[in-house]
Amino acid sequence: MSSQFEPEGQAPPATGLLLLQVCIWGLFCVFALRFWYLQVYKGEHFAAKARDNQLRQEASFAPRGLVRDRTGELVAVNEPAYALGLVREDVRDLDATLAKIAEWTGTPQAELRERFEKGRRRVKPFEHLILVPDLSFDLLAHIEANTLFWPGLEIVVRPKRRYPQDELLSHVLGYVAEANEEELEKDSGLALGDNVGKGGLELVLEGRLRGAKGLTQVEVDATGRRLNQMVLREPGAGEDISLSIDLGLQRRCTEQMGGHSGAVVVMDPDTGRILAFVSMPSFDANLFVAGLSTEQWVALRDHPRHPLQNRVIQSMFPPGSVFKLVVGAAGLEAGINPRETVYCSGQVQLGKRVFRCWKKHGHGAVNYQQAQVQSCDVYFYSMGERLRVDKMAPFAMACGFGQRTGIELPHEKGGLVPTPDWKRRRFGEPWVGGDNLNMSIGQGFNLVTPLQVARFVSALVNGGTLYKPLLLADQAPEAQSRLPMSEGTRKLIVDAMVETVKSGTARRLQRRDAVMGGKTGTAQVVKLKLKEGDVRETTEEMAYEERDHAWLASFGEKDGQRYVAVCMVEHGGHGGSVAGPMLASVYDYLFGEATR
Amino acid sequence: MSPIDRRMLYHINWPLLGLAALLFAVGVVNLYSASGFRVETGQTMSSFYQKQLIWGAMGLVGMVAFLFLDYRHLKTLAWPLFVLAVLLLLCVPLFGKTIYGAKRWLDLGFFNLQPSEIAKISILLIGAKLLARGSRPMGWGELILVLLVGLVPAGLIIIQPDLGSGLSVLLLLGGMILYRGLRKGVLRVLLVVGPLLLPLSWFFLHDYQKRRIMTFLDPSTDPLGSGYHINQSQIAIGSGQIWGKGYLAGTQSQLRFLPEKHTDFAIAVFGEEWGFIGAIILLSLFSMFLYQIFVTASVAKDRFGSYLAAGVFFYFFWQILINMGMVLGLMPVVGIPLPFISYGGSAMVVNLCLIGVVINVSMRRFVFKRS
Repeated sequence: MSSQFEPEGQAPPATGLLLLQVCIWGLFCVFALRFWYLQVYKGEHFAAKARDNQLRQEASFAPRGLVRDRTGELVAVNEPAYALGLVREDVRDLDATLAKIAEWTGTPQAELRERFEKGRRRVKPFEHLILVPDLSFDLLAHIEANTLFWPGLEIVVRPKRRYPQDELLSHVLGYVAEANEEELEKDSGLALGDNVGKGGLELVLEGRLRGAKGLTQVEVDATGRRLNQMVLREPGAGEDISLSIDLGLQRRCTEQMGGHSGAVVVMDPDTGRILAFVSMPSFDANLFVAGLSTEQWVALRDHPRHPLQNRVIQSMFPPGSVFKLVVGAAGLEAGINPRETVYCSGQVQLGKRVFRCWKKHGHGAVNYQQAQVQSCDVYFYSMGERLRVDKMAPFAMACGFGQRTGIELPHEKGGLVPTPDWKRRRFGEPWVGGDNLNMSIGQGFNLVTPLQVARFVSALVNGGTLYKPLLLADQAPEAQSRLPMSEGTRKLIVDAMVETVKSGTARRLQRRDAVMGGKTGTAQVVKLKLKEGDVRETTEEMAYEERDHAWLASFGEKDGQRYVAVCMVEHGGHGGSVAGPMLASVYDYLFGEATR
Repeated sequence: MSPIDRRMLYHINWPLLGLAALLFAVGVVNLYSASGFRVETGQTMSSFYQKQLIWGAMGLVGMVAFLFLDYRHLKTLAWPLFVLAVLLLLCVPLFGKTIYGAKRWLDLGFFNLQPSEIAKISILLIGAKLLARGSRPMGWGELILVLLVGLVPAGLIIIQPDLGSGLSVLLLLGGMILYRGLRKGVLRVLLVVGPLLLPLSWFFLHDYQKRRIMTFLDPSTDPLGSGYHINQSQIAIGSGQIWGKGYLAGTQSQLRFLPEKHTDFAIAVFGEEWGFIGAIILLSLFSMFLYQIFVTASVAKDRFGSYLAAGVFFYFFWQILINMGMVLGLMPVVGIPLPFISYGGSAMVVNLCLIGVVINVSMRRFVFKRS
């Protein structure tokens, strides 16, 4: 044996051995006492708790608030939907269970697996993890009968959104669909499979519409089967909402648009309440609730007419002659005498460029009112030349253009009021004289939304107040600003609009029982194309996407009732002839059949 | 290799071996009951007790191997093993495998090695070797040296992060230091400074660790998280009352309200099914088991053997203390298994090997020449 195995001195440390003994006795005494406390002293208490433990608490689903139009007709309701839920604690063999569900529903097993992995992190012990959010009735009966053999699987009944008017109000209401990962992350009140608002009022009013989940106490046996249940907290339904929309009017406007793409807005000019909000074409919001298939989604997204585009607030169009209302007011405010005449020969020249009037042979000498009624381009060219962009742009902005109206819908666009600065940044080119002329007749770079036009015309009609457009019946009117014009100027413009219906381009709106006013617009989409010689193609000769946009901004007053209606028909051709009959029919709905 | 003669077999600590066998049996029987369904995935895990049997057999092989090797050779192995342990710990952040968000394992292909286990054994050997150099209570110089050696692996483990294993290395070493004894002056200073340092450590804890401690102080703050574990394990144990609900009849564990019941919370299943009587019997088994290690430490004929046994004593003592303290709601929840009762392969092998070391010390206590 080597020397390292020599005994090293003697005896282990006495205090150390004492320490070990203290440790043993301490351990025994402390834990024996604790066991006695838990099992003997408090034993009965914990035994009672153990019995309670066989009671689980489950969320019960709250219905979303109902949505009605101003007359009380329902536009968003709830109906029961059947989801397949899984309680992971009760499942014996997860893989076999998922395989079975895949067999029943046709959902690939990998997809179910992914859903399970995603959901388990968010589901509390013994809570349902929703694997299939919406079961068809056929499947329901089959699965219901089989869940008995698959512990942990259960049918969960939940309210599901339905839009009984199908496509009619989709651009206002938006839709609900299953919450995505990001939304689940942000909102701890959501569980996998819950629906949330994804667009329109459903999104904006999510906080008011969504109810509060209830709590139910469920008594279960060892395999998770429910024996008994008791409601601990009733679910709280979401708030019901009434719209300012008149469904009948909405229907009328939609019918009148026929197969055209475009927008119609009908507004109460004295409050800003919107009575009709039509964007065509529309889509069926019910498709989203059920969960779109990829093909359905692609078809909607890539549709040549863009049904998902909200043309009332998201599409920006050149305003065309409708913008003459703004330029005219700016000119009158700048001191142009309305009695002063301009001679229209059908065209004016600026440098090398020739600017034409829509009327080839000219209007002759026209004063302000005649110019607005006839929509004489040459008169407004001369105004544009005198005002220049420096006067027109700020004036247009003060009339509410170039900025959002603030309506309670997501993704509103602000339109564009061009300035020399903007042009330099955008195109790297200076503002030239011709730009002033184009701007004066609403061509060139100007872009507006139909809602901005409706709000502006409402302000002209109501005495000059720009109101925030409202969609809900209970919202108080909210004055945002005043039109930058004197009462005299405003009257001149409005009177000219009335005259336009009597003798000008908006004659289609004429009716004996009401005071009607209007301004048409035909906005060129592409630069004027001339056929050989000097003749322009007719609308029918042009390719659809090259045809002009047709505008008609109007108001009507009868027996103290006032309405503003704006119609924009995408690639519709001439404002008066295309949009005129449509709005005439809209006023028939509002005022009764006309005596013309 | 020193020969094994009949005298040695006679001096094997048979009671220790018997107690270990009993505890192992209790563990497997309990595991069978706990093997209902696995809470997380819904998979059955009836094979857990079978696997535990296999690990036990492997541990037995390790134990016998340790019996043949004279424990005094371990002294020469102490430093090389220490260097190996530190190297392995250094490898973890570089090549480690991330499980549950922490890098603690090295993937060796056929199994995942947890270097902190090696570190514990190496600290045991180094501690015994360094402490056995003297016999009187330690002064500052010796204490600081030993602590420095211990802090290297402990620090590396804590930054993994694995606070539980890191602290158990320090606790193991601390127990051995106390076994050797400290000079009165040193002890007095430590008794004053130690409690002052404790609150400072709060700032080094991870958020989830702070949350566990807060939950321990007030379980109602997190009734569905770690508070859920504490509540459920106390309900399970408490509802066992005096006589227990009977084997395989624990409603809490069978109903799967109890999480982690096969690993850290295994004793809750036992407490529910066997009641206060069973719990006291189990506690007695553990106490007698520790007592037999104490006996070996006290009769060892050289200081190294005695410190080795004391190290093994603390190795088991802390695990029992922390696991039971946690399950019984006396301590915050930390993931420390209960020796022989919790499911766990590498722990079982290490446990049995260490018992081999202790028996080795006890059976060779007569081989020394009389001086």
